[in-house]
Amino acid sequence: MRTIIILLSFFAITSVNSQAAYEKGMGKAFELWGNQKNDEAANLFERIGKAEKDNWLPYYYAAQIHIVTTFGIKDAEEIESRLTKAQNYLNEAKTFSKDNAEIVIMEAMLNTAYVVYDGAKYGMTHSGKVEELYQKAKIIEPENPRAILYHAEWQMGAAKFWGKDPKAFCPEIEKAILYFEKEPSNVPFYPDWGKNQIARIQENCK
Amino acid sequence: MKSLLITIFLLSAAFLNAQNTISGVVTEPSGVPIPGANIYLEGTYDGASSADDGTFSFTTTETGGQTLVVSFLSFETFTLSMDVTEMKGLKIKLKEDVNSLGSVILNAGTFSAGDNSKASVLTPLDIVTTAGAAGDYIGAFQTLPGTSTVAEDGRLFVRGGDANEANVYIDGLRVFQPFAATANNIPTRGRFSPFLFKGTNFSTGGYSAEYGDALSSVLLLNTIDEPEQEKTDLSFISVGLGIGNTQKWKNNSLSINAFYLNLKPYQEIISQRVDWIKPFESLSGEAVYRHQFDNGLFKLYGGLNYTDFELIQEDINVPEGINFGLKNRNLYINASYKGELGNDWRLATGASFANDHNDIKIEETNVDNDDNAAHLKIKLRKRFSNRFKLSFGAEQFLGNFKEEASIISFGNFQSSFKNNSTAAFSEANIFFNKKLAMQLGIRATHNTLLDFTKVSPRASLAYKIAEKSQVSLAYGDFYQAPQQDILKYNSSLDPEKSSHYILNYLYQNNGRTLRAEAYYKSYDRLAKFDTAMPEFGSNYNSSGDGYAAGLDVYWRDNKSIKNFEYWTSYSYLDTERDYRNYPERATPNFATSHNLSVVGKYWAKDWKSLISATYNFASGRPYTDPNTANFLGEKTRTFNSLNMSWAYLISQQKILFVSVSNVLGFDNVFNYQYANTPNVNGNFARRAIRPTADRFFIIGFFWTISDNKTDNQLDNL
Repeated sequence: MRTIIILLSFFAITSVNSQAAYEKGMGKAFELWGNQKNDEAANLFERIGKAEKDNWLPYYYAAQIHIVTTFGIKDAEEIESRLTKAQNYLNEAKTFSKDNAEIVIMEAMLNTAYVVYDGAKYGMTHSGKVEELYQKAKIIEPENPRAILYHAEWQMGAAKFWGKDPKAFCPEIEKAILYFEKEPSNVPFYPDWGKNQIARIQENCK
Repeated sequence: MKSLLITIFLLSAAFLNAQNTISGVVTEPSGVPIPGANIYLEGTYDGASSADDGTFSFTTTETGGQTLVVSFLSFETFTLSMDVTEMKGLKIKLKEDVNSLGSVILNAGTFSAGDNSKASVLTPLDIVTTAGAAGDYIGAFQTLPGTSTVAEDGRLFVRGGDANEANVYIDGLRVFQPFAATANNIPTRGRFSPFLFKGTNFSTGGYSAEYGDALSSVLLLNTIDEPEQEKTDLSFISVGLGIGNTQKWKNNSLSINAFYLNLKPYQEIISQRVDWIKPFESLSGEAVYRHQFDNGLFKLYGGLNYTDFELIQEDINVPEGINFGLKNRNLYINASYKGELGNDWRLATGASFANDHNDIKIEETNVDNDDNAAHLKIKLRKRFSNRFKLSFGAEQFLGNFKEEASIISFGNFQSSFKNNSTAAFSEANIFFNKKLAMQLGIRATHNTLLDFTKVSPRASLAYKIAEKSQVSLAYGDFYQAPQQDILKYNSSLDPEKSSHYILNYLYQNNGRTLRAEAYYKSYDRLAKFDTAMPEFGSNYNSSGDGYAAGLDVYWRDNKSIKNFEYWTSYSYLDTERDYRNYPERATPNFATSHNLSVVGKYWAKDWKSLISATYNFASGRPYTDPNTANFLGEKTRTFNSLNMSWAYLISQQKILFVSVSNVLGFDNVFNYQYANTPNVNGNFARRAIRPTADRFFIIGFFWTISDNKTDNQLDNL
């Protein structure tokens, strides 16, 4: 009996250790990201993802860093290799978590990045994909504030392009604000970004 | 027992705290440091990113043999397995990922479109918004260099080759009758609707060992793997009506299209040079079903097409003209499967089947023919590394042609032949580094009808000479069985042969592309006969030969002017051949020395309009004037055409489209037909062969119904 207890406590210690290592690692990665050390943060997320083996979150954030980084660069070769890498991370993430609204939203972001980078080349093929992905995310989680907010932003962009009033989508932003407030946060490091973009997107409603 | 356990526990804890430092430097093969690479022990949190000088250092509590992984964008991932205590002062050289952007491209002789391929020259949108192409893939490819403008035919004439020397494939499987049935001097169109395809490879020479039985060129079309969404498309065009619908469920999707075309109302408004008895009418339907397996994709494509028309064809020898009627029915089925077998093996397999039936009436003559053809293919590919890939496969072609001709005053004639052939092929792709790549292929074909076995080698080499430019070389031997019109009377001929030598220069820089290609092509064993047309009693032999040499230049610029893109193609062609019934070597009527196309597209944002213009120029075409002694010794006047189209986007899902071909009304002449006998002055009279009408216009309205309000049929135009 004692032996079992000791053994159990030993395993408990190692698993607590690994949980602690995960939290420490993720914390460190977010810190690096916060300090604009994007590539180091993405590298650390990749390492955590590789070590964890069944957790989608590290890959999700590694993908997000690469996607967001492309909005600030012009070099075609770098943009394409980052987006390819991001797609690979999302594919990894999807194998651990099927029908996950957050991953679907991130994939919509990825396709948006292609359209932003070269509309002539990717506009036709990827615009439909973006729309489809937002709709899919909303079916999985009708109250996901990121799906609602960024879908509204995407639709506002299209409305402006067609010379229509983007204000039609303003009620969606109100809905997103509501859902941001209601958003539960049980899982550590669960995505909760997007709130501080509300003001920027609401500029279209003035 | 207790003390032992405690000892183990303490020891483990001690192990957890024992630290090893892992250090080293990451560089490119040349020694240039790589900052930002990810270095870590596999399966652990322990790792670091390399610093600006490529150095890294981190500590780990792991012990014993471990795997160190080094990964970085655009480089191949590096792994090293050894004891952690030895992982000090490592010098790691990462190899460049040869699949990344900026690598050399094996492209001599091929133009890729769509598909996001590195060598893409046209996007799918380009293809369908090119003025003058009228939504036909083939029409858009005629604005690329290497093609000759043969406006009365509509098929592809590539680098001195006639239209029968080019083959079309869908998803790797042969399309046996890719063009709609038509009459002499009335241009044809591709049978398939362009929006079913995600990408196209158009080879103007030196194509892969996977394909055969074409002396000049192959056009490879790939269907869409997965449609974006469910939708219904309606089109109302001045000459017809169309409907399309796409459904998706679970791992399946189905797209259906139908189109009805009737030129009667149009021809009643616009006067035609042709006297139509029954104007062109066609009904076509297509369906694509896709099923996604865990490791593969199955696609089934089926198309059924029915065409009917009757006209009086002008003829200088027959003052009242010749009555010509045609009813054509075509069925094409194509099933393919592509999947991963694990361990970097890929399987691509499939079968295609075609049945083509023609009911032709020429005055008193009735001709009925049936052409059944099938293609079965299997191909395996093994990726040994990013740098070495090997593919090999086998294919079987089956052909069965039957024709029955009945001439009221003579009786009935029957002819038939079975054209079966078997081929095996293998091809290796070798990337020595990001700058140098090679493709080596070999193909062996056995044809049972003509009883020959031929082995053809193919090779290409590409080298990057600077960051934005590269040169390539390609060589290949190609064999093709003679055409149906000869095979039905004679099956003792040799296969026709061509050899291609290609030198290519490619410059790609941020939305600007320059391609220049010089080539030499020799023809050998071309089929010949000694009558005006192939007939039952003609003498046939394989003694024809010829050559084609030339220079193709393509320039495209998407960047210099905002919302405006243009490309221009120029081809110079020098060709002569002795084939069919030619008395001597001569430049054929379809070959033009100079060909120029300029395509421009402007997106007028305020007008929500895409305005497109295409200008085509071709130098004069050779023809024979029997009043002179020279065979094909005269030349027609030059060909000019300016086509314009305007797509107005009423809303995101409603488009109004207007297109006019030959806006300026150039009076083009393709050829001359001379009288069989001289007139009283001893001269042979002639008539010019000209387009059925100088201009053609289309007005269309396209409406898409879907949940996704951003989608429209711009890709169908």
